[in-house]
Amino acid sequence: MKVLTDIHTDFSAVANSRDIMVADNARWKTLREQAQHQFARMGLPGRKEEDWKYTSLWQFGQEQFVHQVSQPGYADIHELKLVEDAYRLVIVDGRVDLTASSIDRLPDGLTVTPLSQSIERASEFLNQQISMEKPGFNAMNTMLMNEGVFIEVTENTKIDKPIELIVVNSGHTQYYAMHLRHVIVLGKDSQATFIETYAGNDKANGLTDVVTEISLAENAELFHYKLQRESLGHYHVATMAASQATDSKWHNTNISLGAKLARNDVHSQLLGEQSHVTMNGLYLVTGEQHVDNHTRIDHSVPNTTSEEVYKGVLDEQSHAVFNGKVIVHKDAQKTDANQSNRNLLLSRGCEIDTKPEMEIYADDVKCGHGSAVGQINEDQLFFLRSRGLDEVSARSLLTFAFAVDVIERITNQELKQSITQVIEKRLPKGVVHE
Amino acid sequence: MKMLEIKNLHASIEGKEILRGINLTVNAGEVHAIMGPNGAGKSTLSNVLTGREGYEITQGEVIYKGQNLLELEPEERARRGVFLAFQYPVEIPGVSNIYLLKAALNAIRKHQGLEELDAIDFLTLVRSKMALVKMDEQFLHRSVNEGFSGGEKKRNEILQMALLEPQLAIMDETDSGLDIDALKTVSEGVNALRSPERSFVMITHYQRLLDYIVPDFVHVLSEGRIVKSGDKELAKELEKSGYSWVHDAPEPEGQPA
Repeated sequence: MKVLTDIHTDFSAVANSRDIMVADNARWKTLREQAQHQFARMGLPGRKEEDWKYTSLWQFGQEQFVHQVSQPGYADIHELKLVEDAYRLVIVDGRVDLTASSIDRLPDGLTVTPLSQSIERASEFLNQQISMEKPGFNAMNTMLMNEGVFIEVTENTKIDKPIELIVVNSGHTQYYAMHLRHVIVLGKDSQATFIETYAGNDKANGLTDVVTEISLAENAELFHYKLQRESLGHYHVATMAASQATDSKWHNTNISLGAKLARNDVHSQLLGEQSHVTMNGLYLVTGEQHVDNHTRIDHSVPNTTSEEVYKGVLDEQSHAVFNGKVIVHKDAQKTDANQSNRNLLLSRGCEIDTKPEMEIYADDVKCGHGSAVGQINEDQLFFLRSRGLDEVSARSLLTFAFAVDVIERITNQELKQSITQVIEKRLPKGVVHE
Repeated sequence: MKMLEIKNLHASIEGKEILRGINLTVNAGEVHAIMGPNGAGKSTLSNVLTGREGYEITQGEVIYKGQNLLELEPEERARRGVFLAFQYPVEIPGVSNIYLLKAALNAIRKHQGLEELDAIDFLTLVRSKMALVKMDEQFLHRSVNEGFSGGEKKRNEILQMALLEPQLAIMDETDSGLDIDALKTVSEGVNALRSPERSFVMITHYQRLLDYIVPDFVHVLSEGRIVKSGDKELAKELEKSGYSWVHDAPEPEGQPA
């Protein structure tokens, strides 16, 4: 079926009850009406929908998500911070926690506010990077979004510290659903680092539905890291979409460790010459986890570049999907695009569906892509054991070695270290389960 | 003191018998060379001794310092002082040399009931060992063997051996792929490690290596058995006459204990 018919949560009814956000803003109101209309028409995608072929939302449809918190949530963010010194916004159970945040002293040229407090300005940028026509969660997100972060950097401004967003599902309200929208706008010749972490305690089952829209003006540069480490009973559906003007750079790193079902749609539109996008991805899944990364890069004009490396480690009965599209449009001569997806399978029960795709409509381009699926190399394993490392440590070390180049590309040393620690803790033991 | 005793060892791979009754005794401080033509079972012997999977031991036993070596996992053998210098050292992208050296040394020290070395003591130790095999410090921070030349890989093996200070070193075709300068460096490294407490089993096709690392005993392996044993002069004889005669050799009378 193209459409998922059996959805137990009445998302449309929830949308009707969310009036606060749209009350004073005409554009927002119009968008929400369109979204409601669109959602009523299209709903959520079924397996017959090409982009959802390997990811079933059936179980998602069975869940009764809750949109009212039963009691206020609390989260200890000390363990979740990836960098010490940052402009930080913390969202717990869909609400901004200002005491845990530190956005009161921002430098000139930087705006970091909860979306709910910048409705006027943010609304100008809403739904610029995403399409509600696309089968998926964009319409749902547009009709239900009620919080998020709005970041704006003015021209010629380089932000001295990372901007860190921490989103926590506290677990105080079971099956709580968050619908977040982040808007990031970088002016001409500006530069910033944005880190977003999604976390929850082990028993926090719920939904995180998030869309991040990014607009990079001429020669703007965004270092962007996303770490998703939610509980293994959680649903996470996310879109990150950017439009890039001349000379702009978007360095995106997308790490998925948690959730029962995680879906990421990452999209870059290279609209100006000499613009560049890096897409680094890493997913570590085990148990019954399912992770699906769909990426798309549009090379729309001449002389743009893209570099994409997604790596995955699968253990136990986990399932991963990678679909990477690179589209080189008719006029995009001298495009330089590279894409790869490599997977390490640690058990016989896991499954990977990988599909790197390139559509090339220009004739003078340099493009390469590939995918690989492998297992732990027995010669390497024996070598390490012959040097005294026990089998479990040797397997973990080889697993880490497989993933390490994604981490190596993180330029901020403190962040690199924290992420390394998080990943080391999540390394599958790697014993072959037969 | 007996370091290693191999008694009537038979081993098969995928049902095919490769070792067909090996007898060998190596005492502490001795250097034994095991020579033989291709297919004689040289690599099988080193693989069985170090515990690589895929071999079936059908008869016989191997006693290392009074313990049944064959029932130990590869890492347990390593921690008890058995070291294999590989014929083809494997490349491990993503694992730095220094990490490997540290993890290996600490695994062995832990087994010996010693504390882990701190960063400074460790570096000092590694540097002194690197000097022994004339390795530049930049190799510490590169991935294990990745992009190393043949000679660099072999020197890296000797570096690991020097650091881990095994009691029994098994060297599998250490001279293969080495030019004369690298061979000299590697040999000097090995010779510096010779001691009354340490034994070496060198597996080699060619006599050349034995000009640099002079063995106490030379054994000829053919069709899974040791068919002749002698001193270093035996190796020179082999160099002259080749291996063709070994096929006609009589059944071995068994190695004197």
